[in-house]
Formats: sequence, structure tokens, C-alpha cells
Amino acid sequence: MSITIGKGIPKVDAQHKVRGDTIYADDYSVPGMLYGKVLRSRYPAARILALRTARAEHLEGVVAVITAKDVPHNELTARFGQSTSVGVQFEGIYRVLADQEVRYFGEPIALVAAETPELAEQACQMIEVEYQPLEGIFDPVTAMEQGVRQVAEKSHNIASHFKIRKGNVEEAFAHADVIVEGTYQVPYQDHAYLEPESGVAWVDEDGTINIRVSSQVIEHFREVAEVLDLPHSRVRYLGTWIGGGFGGKEDITVESFLALLAWKTRRPVKLTYTRTESLLTHSKRHPFFMEYKTGATKDGRITAVQARLISDAGSYSALSPWVLLYATVNAAGPYHVDNIWVDSYAVMTNTPVTSAFRGFGAPQVNFAYESQIDRLSRCLGIDPLELRRRNFLRQGNSLDTGWIYDRPVAICEAAEKAWNALGPKVTSPNPRVAIGHGLGAGMCSYGRLTFLHDTSRSYINLELDGSAVIRCGVPDVGGGQGHILCQIAAEELGLPIESIKLFITDSQLTPLAGTTTATRQLYMSGNATLKAARVLRKRMLEKASQMLCVPVENLQVQAGKILSTSQPEKSVDLVPLVNRMSTEGIELFVEAQFNAPFTSIPASEMIEGQIHPDYTFGAYAVEVEVNRETGALRVPRIVACFDVGKALNPVIVEGQIEGGGIQGFGYALTEDMKIEKGIIQTPSFAEYLIPTAVDVPDLETILLESGTGLGPYGAKGIGEPPMVSIAPALTNAIFDAVGVRITSLPATPEKILMGMLAQEEGSE
Amino acid sequence: MQHYSFYKPRGLIEALQVLSEYGGRARIAAGCSNLLPDLKARHLQDCLLVDISELEGLRGIQAEGNWATVGSLTTIAELAGSPLLREGAPLLWQACQSFGDPLVRNRATLGGNLGHASPAADTAPPLLAMETSVLAESLSGGRREFPIAELFAGPGRINLRPGELILSLRFPLFERKKVAFVKFGLRNAMAISLASAALSLRMEDGLMQDVKLAYGSLAATPFRAFRTEECLTGMPCNEETLVRASTEAQGEVRPITDIRASSSYRRLLAGALLRQAARAALS
Amino acid sequence: MEIQSDLKVTIRVNGVAVSAPVQAADSLLDFLRNQARATDVKCGCNQGDCGTCTVIYDGKAIKSCLVLAAQADGKEVRSLKGLMDDPLMQSLQNAFLECGAVQCGFCTPGMLMASWSLLQDNPNPTREEMRQGISGNLCRCTGYKKILDAISLAAAQLLTEHAAAGHQAGQALGRSITPGRESYQASDRLDGQARAKAEYLLLGGG
Repeated sequence: MSITIGKGIPKVDAQHKVRGDTIYADDYSVPGMLYGKVLRSRYPAARILALRTARAEHLEGVVAVITAKDVPHNELTARFGQSTSVGVQFEGIYRVLADQEVRYFGEPIALVAAETPELAEQACQMIEVEYQPLEGIFDPVTAMEQGVRQVAEKSHNIASHFKIRKGNVEEAFAHADVIVEGTYQVPYQDHAYLEPESGVAWVDEDGTINIRVSSQVIEHFREVAEVLDLPHSRVRYLGTWIGGGFGGKEDITVESFLALLAWKTRRPVKLTYTRTESLLTHSKRHPFFMEYKTGATKDGRITAVQARLISDAGSYSALSPWVLLYATVNAAGPYHVDNIWVDSYAVMTNTPVTSAFRGFGAPQVNFAYESQIDRLSRCLGIDPLELRRRNFLRQGNSLDTGWIYDRPVAICEAAEKAWNALGPKVTSPNPRVAIGHGLGAGMCSYGRLTFLHDTSRSYINLELDGSAVIRCGVPDVGGGQGHILCQIAAEELGLPIESIKLFITDSQLTPLAGTTTATRQLYMSGNATLKAARVLRKRMLEKASQMLCVPVENLQVQAGKILSTSQPEKSVDLVPLVNRMSTEGIELFVEAQFNAPFTSIPASEMIEGQIHPDYTFGAYAVEVEVNRETGALRVPRIVACFDVGKALNPVIVEGQIEGGGIQGFGYALTEDMKIEKGIIQTPSFAEYLIPTAVDVPDLETILLESGTGLGPYGAKGIGEPPMVSIAPALTNAIFDAVGVRITSLPATPEKILMGMLAQEEGSE
Repeated sequence: MQHYSFYKPRGLIEALQVLSEYGGRARIAAGCSNLLPDLKARHLQDCLLVDISELEGLRGIQAEGNWATVGSLTTIAELAGSPLLREGAPLLWQACQSFGDPLVRNRATLGGNLGHASPAADTAPPLLAMETSVLAESLSGGRREFPIAELFAGPGRINLRPGELILSLRFPLFERKKVAFVKFGLRNAMAISLASAALSLRMEDGLMQDVKLAYGSLAATPFRAFRTEECLTGMPCNEETLVRASTEAQGEVRPITDIRASSSYRRLLAGALLRQAARAALS
Repeated sequence: MEIQSDLKVTIRVNGVAVSAPVQAADSLLDFLRNQARATDVKCGCNQGDCGTCTVIYDGKAIKSCLVLAAQADGKEVRSLKGLMDDPLMQSLQNAFLECGAVQCGFCTPGMLMASWSLLQDNPNPTREEMRQGISGNLCRCTGYKKILDAISLAAAQLLTEHAAAGHQAGQALGRSITPGRESYQASDRLDGQARAKAEYLLLGGG
């Protein structure tokens, strides 16, 4: 009988959020605070010939103007929350402020701190920049060619290149009964978190720069320290409860700017991006251009997959190599295929930085491979579910890197359950509406790349009054990353969850738990917390055993006490137990570290073996209604089925699936980020459309709990997986309804209608 | 750096005086649904913000016999929640249901929606189809009444005299026509119309008469599609008529290509929305 | 005629008069966050497109970034903090907690205000009417389902309280309920589950 595990307990942070008490980054103000503003490039590609800041500096109320020359280390090698290098193919540069050139529209050139936000803005307008515009490179496909101007610091525009070579695709294609080819394009996507990037920094009495910031990675204190040429210990991140991350607050956003301004002015500084600024200039999901070729036997066994993937790496590589790697490893999907050939390229262009976004490469290739599966099923006349059944990965099969996946795989059950929950397709009574059903299945890793040697730490302390304190550096983006640690501790130690006080994200006072990215927190800090809790629990049981004269194996931990299973009246309450332990000098605290599996860094572009700790498998089945006259889409039903290993808190788990599914819905249907010559044309929420409550159905979730996850109690990660496979489920449903194959997202009504008309013309 | 000032006139005369004195340097602040985003985006030059939001006598729906006079400060929410409008002017009422979102409806005014002169203003096609007249007043020109079709000069350009303020809109009530307003957006709320159509007609002996069709977002201004109306007049409402009228409509609209859609798609929508409106009106 | 560039306004925020200088182009949102220190009112876009700044102004739920601070002189504004003692708001807050409707929480204050306003005007909304009621409030985390479930739950409680006198408790209690585990299916009207859940909680369960 569990105390908290498996229960939909409200999150510990939720009660403050519903009262409006949570102090998000921009809600925090300090006496004497200045306001920061970033001056940004007006051109997507230009040399900076001159930069004159005198007029701005002399404006009354302006306290500091900073340009590249004022930054101690303006350029660092971009690693990623890593203390060790993992090789040149994963590195790029992190440039704080543009110096001789700008590579993207909106690139930061100068910083201002002033007494009011209006003055800061006015000062920015007074900074004179002399640009020499350059010919911009905007298309990754042409940017790969020889003789094209180099966008970045590397010798050519291909920032990264990876390969998969499994089996012999040439031979397999030669013998295939059917070959399906397709070209797919997926666009930028903006995280569109409701909280814009924001933070406040100040220098405290001992000269430490404190940065209170909405960030998914507090380990960036190291880079910020290096930027300022300070020891790491002189920069402290105080993370806030984050108003949405999704990967957009994974790279450094405002922190270096804040640190520089606070350091220069010796006053607190606040910097909050406007929504326009955020939409125009902050990092986006990688657009991918994908060419696929799939070969199969006539009874639907896929024998070969060949893929050429090109991602738009933007103007600074940031996490582009990593996203490309994820896409490469996921390129064939959750299917057992003996022959796979993948060439993938991340290509630099003069466009905004592309970096982490929920799914991190997996949703992009998933759109391609699930469209290929659907094409194959049509081509062969085999039911979409059945075709997948014949090819789904099973325990003991190898992935495209050759790694044997030796754990149970629930993808088949997930696809079946989702598809069957949709039920049979009916014909619409309205002749102008076509109904279609679509299936999408996918896999998504949880846990970081294993060659990064990921670790996480957590600390628990028992208080004399029977309460407890957890300290863990885990940033919380709203998915219960912090809360779940309290549930774990409450379960193991028999504490009511209300008596647990959680401290998170202080880079100097809470043990570093690693990034809130890669669907890794439940797995990593969850396991670290579990480990710490179990050590404490063991000490408690040993002492209780002594006190009660009952062997440890006959004792159980229940809410607030430890008692004998056979003689429940033999019990000791938590408070006397803890006090006894304290008197005897038994340590009432544990800091534990959890290590993910460690593998070696890939030696070259050839990717082989284990890359991730594990994967989460799931599927979506959707019903769509297409209006034949306008191409408009209505989605009455979305069914999701995921194997989550174990749902430690089913309400939170459902929330991740419902939210991720709808974010994927937006990616597939409504989020049309238009860009022209490197400048985003949709810089507001009125133009870049994320779904509202009247655009979406109630997402139906079916949870499978195989218990085979690597996380606490057999849990798998669920943060990113719901982003995968909803898009192709929708486009496959569109094909089912009206026979239009959408190969580039989003599937707008215009594309659908034009597709229908093209068909009509074709058939005449 | 822009400089803005603020003034709240105490009555209509004062408002007109200020508007007259400041001319193009004055901006009307009522619901501010368009004004404030423009201010924040620094799209407006130095100007005087004239707060008319509480001027007496410019808010509310008055019915006199078979005519309604709606004050320009009446909010979209007030219109959407009016039983009188639902029964008496259902075309306008329908447009108000899908306008923006409930929060914006609580502030946005009829005068503001028209005065902003966006080709996508959702209240414009119904008012055009209802042959609404506009009552406006300026200090120099006094009061004048004119058909709403004369109001729209181009995208963002309104045909008002210097210092002129829209006081009210007047349209017939209880015409007992078959009506439908159809709006097409890329999202179901908080969406600027890609295209919209307002249609009203009567069925007499199985034939369509007194057909009024107005389009939004399909030309430089909202407009009446007279040729398409002719095409429908005196015809039965069947597929054949609608197909022919759709073709006519596609030729009559003047859509643009922008970030939301291409002109060819909008052209197709013109026909589709007409057919949808006709079916809805007659169902 | 007094043309003012810098004005002083007094606005009653959650029952407290706040006087401060403002600029002509300042919005009510600017005033609330900067002068009145009402940081429970969020700024997600400052352009009228997201609803995180929703407050009750002059009795109506509106986006405070779309009101000039100068226009609000002498007016009443209520934010989430000003409704803490309101039984309907408390019911909504509890329902948001029960149903898991809070993830990052940034949209939550605005969403609660819009939901409160909806139930004030329409105490027994259909699920579709609930969707319409919050259609001006964006959420990026939840996909809206649990928010709608929470509104449903609060509405059911409202109804149950009003009908407490003549209501047969036994009829309303449907299946057994695990607190916080209930998944609400899409439905047109408040369904039996929502009523049952409300009954259960009213009777001290959960």
C-alpha cells in the first residue's frame, strides 16, 4: 500500500501558483534596481564598421553601456553544461555580444542599464551602428554547397555531420518488392512559453554575482563566470519557478547580460525580453529537410531505410550538433530494420539560433518516418496498424546504431490501444466534410546522451520535529520536477508530503542536479533522491529495529511511524525515532549522487552502439474532419497511449501528455512561423498562432505501466515523448480523409485545399 | 523618443473641440484594443490620446420602431449579449459572437472596430449588408449622416472629416430576412479573419430576392459584392446557382497575399464562404 | 484644457487606493505591476494576445494591457489577490489543484480570473461554453483539458451547493472516486462524474 506513489496528489508548488504568490523572474524587484535593454542587429548578415555609444552614455539616467570590447571573454567554446570536452564535432562558439560582424537579425550588439525601461530603450536607439550589409545565406540546402560564403567560424557551413551505416541498404533495396520515397520539410517552432525570458542580477556584499533567473540550466554559472573572467564560485544562479521552458530556456538567455551590467554598475539590474523580442530573436526548433527512401517486401516487412537529413543550424551552432545526433539515432523510428543508411547535416545560415525544443530532433524525423509508413501501407494495401505490427521493435532487436535494445518494448500495445480506442470510422452525414483516421507511433529518449556521463545529486535532511528538507538543484519548468522528489521522499520515509520543505535551483546551496532537459529529471534527480531517501530509511529501520527488538525485515514504514508487520502495536513514532538517532550521533542527512550509464564519446561521425540510457514508446490515434470546401480541419478526437513505466503521479503524467500533445498539435497545424531573408515575419501571438481552448479536443490518455523504466519505481520519462508522433498521426488522418499527402508542416487549410484541387486537376 | 499626452474631455463638445484643434495629432482612446498595442510597438508618432470612453450618450442600443441606433461606444460584448439584436439584427449579432475573445469583447467598441478601418473588421460586413448609416459629428462640419459604404477608404484609412467623431450607427431592425455571418480564421478564437462574409436575403416563391452580400478581408476595404448579389437575385438557391455565384464572387474580390494566406486561396474562400453562408441562412 | 503628459491617477486595486504618477501611454498592466506592485497580474505579451494580464475592471473581465492607466483613474480593479475571500474563487482554486490544472502556473492567475468571470455570468456552462470563456487565455503547458475539468468541478460544486436543500445525495454519487485521479471525459453538459465528484468533496471526501 503506497503512501504517495501512484497518487494524483496536487503539486507542492501548485497551491502558491493558484494564490498568485509565486514570484516569477520578472515579479522580483530590488531597491536601486536598474533596467537592462539589449540593442539588436537590424541585419541578418553584416559587418559592423563602427559602433558609437557616446550619445547613449551621456543620456541622463543611463548608468552603463556595454559592447563587446567591455566583455572580458566575449567568446567561449560552447559546451553544454559540461565540465569536460566531448570533442570538436559537438562544439561551436558562444559569443556574448557581436563584435566585428552580425550573423542574424536581432543578434545582440550592446547592452544598456538605465533608471527606467523607457530610458534604457531610448539609449539603445541612440547607439549608432554602422553596418556593411552582407549577402545573407538563408537556405541550408544551398549553404552546403562549395563556394558559398561561410556563415560561421568553421571552415564550411556544415557544422555537424553524422552517419549511420547498418547492414547493406544497396542490396536490400535491390531485392525490395516495393520502394517508397518521400521528401519532408518541417519548420521553425517557437516555444511560446507564456513567461518571457527574464532575470534580476546583483553583486552581493562579498562580490559574488547573484543571478535570479528563469533558466532550465543553473550549471551555466560556469560559463557566465568565464565570460566575466571570475572564478566559478563567484557567480551564483538562483533559479526561479519557470513559467514554461520547453528547451527555450536551456541555453543562456539573459544571464550573461545581467551579470555584465550588474558587475559594471554595481547595482541590481532587471532584464526582461518583450514578447516581440523573444519571438524574433530567441532560439527556435530546427527546421529539417528530409529525404527518405524505404524498401519493403510485399507483405510489409521493411528491409531498408535510407535517409538524408539537413537541419538549419542557424547562425550559431548552440545545440545543433546534439539535435542532429538525436535525429540521426531516431531516424528509422521504433522499428526493427536490418539495413539503415543515414547521412545527416547541420548547416549554418544567417537565421536565428536554432537549439533545444521538446523532442530535440525526434519529432522532426518522426514526421518523416511515420509518413513513410503510411505511404507504404497505402502502397501495399495493408492496414496501418498491421503494417506497423509487422515491423515494431521488440525486445532484443537492434536500433539503427546497432545497439541491442534489451528491454521490453510496449510500442505495439500502445499503438493497438490508441487505434482501438478511436473506434471504427464513420462517414460524415455532411457531404462537405470528410472524416479520416490517422495513426502515429514513435520513440523518444529519456536521459542525456550516455557519453556525457550524466550525474545528479540530491540531499535530504530529517528535522527533529519529524519534518524534512530536500535540497536539489533541479529547475522546475512546471512538470512537477521538484514536486516529485517530495513524493519520493514522503514514500520512502513515511512522511506526510506537507512536512517536506523543498529548496531548488541554487547553484551554491543546492546540490547540482543537472539540466532540466532531455526528459532526465525524474530519472536522474528522482533516482538521486530515491537513493538518498533509501539510505536514510535504512538507518531509520535499523534504529527502529533496535528500539522495538523486531528484525528489520519485519518492519514497515507508514505515515509518521515505523511498525512491526505482525504486531502493529509494536511501533515507534517518527519524532522520538529521529530524536534518538540525533542523540546517538547518527547522521540524519544524506547527499546521494546518481550516475547514468557511461559510454564513450563517438570517435567520428559514425554513430554506433548505445547513445541514450533508454526510450519511451507511445502512439497517437486521431480523428479529423476536413472541410472539403475550405480545407479547414477540425479534430474531434485525439487518443494517446504511452508506456510510462510507472506513473508516480498519474495526474502529472496525464498533464504532460495532454500538454505535449497539444503543443504537437500546434506544430502540426497552426504554428506557421514565416521567415523571409532571415527575418521572422510573425513576431506576435496574433500572427504566430498557438492553440486556444476552442481549437482542441480533450486529449484522451491511456497509460501503460510496464514497470521497465530506469527511473524511480520503474518509471520512464514523459516530458518530451508526447511531442513525438502526433504530427504524422494528424497528417496521416488528413490523407485518410481526402487523399492529400501533406509533406511540409504545418498542415494549413490552404495546403489541404490546394492539395485537393491538385488532385482533382490531376484526375481530369 | 515618442511623446504622448492624455486628455479626457468632459463632454461631446469638448471632445470635438480637442479633435478639431489637434487633427491628425489626436488619437481616440476608447476600448484601446488596437491603440495600446500600436503605442507599445512604437507605431504611433507623438500624439494626444483623447479618452472618450465615458462620454455620455454614445453608448447603448436604442430601438425606435423598426430602426436601431447603436452608440459608437457600445461594446461588442453588449451587442453580443443583446436579445434585441439577436432577434432584430441577427447578422450583426452573429458577428459579435465570434469577435476576438470574451475579454476583448468586454472592451472593444463598435466605433473603434470601424474606426480602425482594418479590412478584416468583423462588424463591417454585417453593417454593410444591413445598409447601415453612420452618424458623425465635427466641430466645423456639424452632424452628418452617410451610408457606411462611404466610411472605408483603404487599409487603415477612414473617410472622416478632420476632427470628426463617429457618434452612432443606424440600421433597420426586424427585417425578418434569412441571414448568416461566416468568418474564416486560422484559429477559432483571437484570430484575424482571413475572409468573412455577411449575407442576407429573402425567399419569395422559391427565389432569392433582396440579396445583400458583403465581404471582409478580401479587398482593400470591406465591401458589398454587387455583381455577386445580382447573380443570386431572382434565382433559386440550389447548387447550380451557388456554383455560378461563387465564380462571380471569386472574380469580384480583390484579395492580397500576406503572411496568413495567398490571394488565390482567399479567392477560393470567397466562393466557399458564400456557399456556407447561403446554406446557413436557409437552414 | 489640461493636456497632460505626466499624470497622477488613483486606482482602487483590490480595495486599496493606489495613487501614483503615470505616463500617457502607460497601460493599466504597467500600473498594476509597477506602481501597485500587483505582481499576481502577469505580463506575457503586452499586446492583448495572451490573457495573462486578465483582471476584473469596472466589473468586467478584461486584459489590463489593453486599458490606459489614465483611463482607469478612479476605477476599481480586482486581481486574483483581491478575490481570495470569494467563495467561487476559492472553489476554483481548489478545483485547479484537485484536477492538476496548474503546471508552470504562469497563465493561472489570468485563467482563474477568466474562469471566475465565466461562472459569475453563467453558473452552469456547457463544456463548449467553458472553452469559449477561456478562449482569450493562452496556456502552453496543459492542453486545456485539466483546466476545463477544474472549471467543471467548480461549477458542479456551485450547483450542488445551491441545490443542497432538496437534492438526493445518493442519486448524484456515481462511481467510486479516487481523489485527484478522476479523468473527465468531454461532455456537453456537466456530467454525472463532475456532479458526483462535487458531492464527494462536499461530503468531506478527498
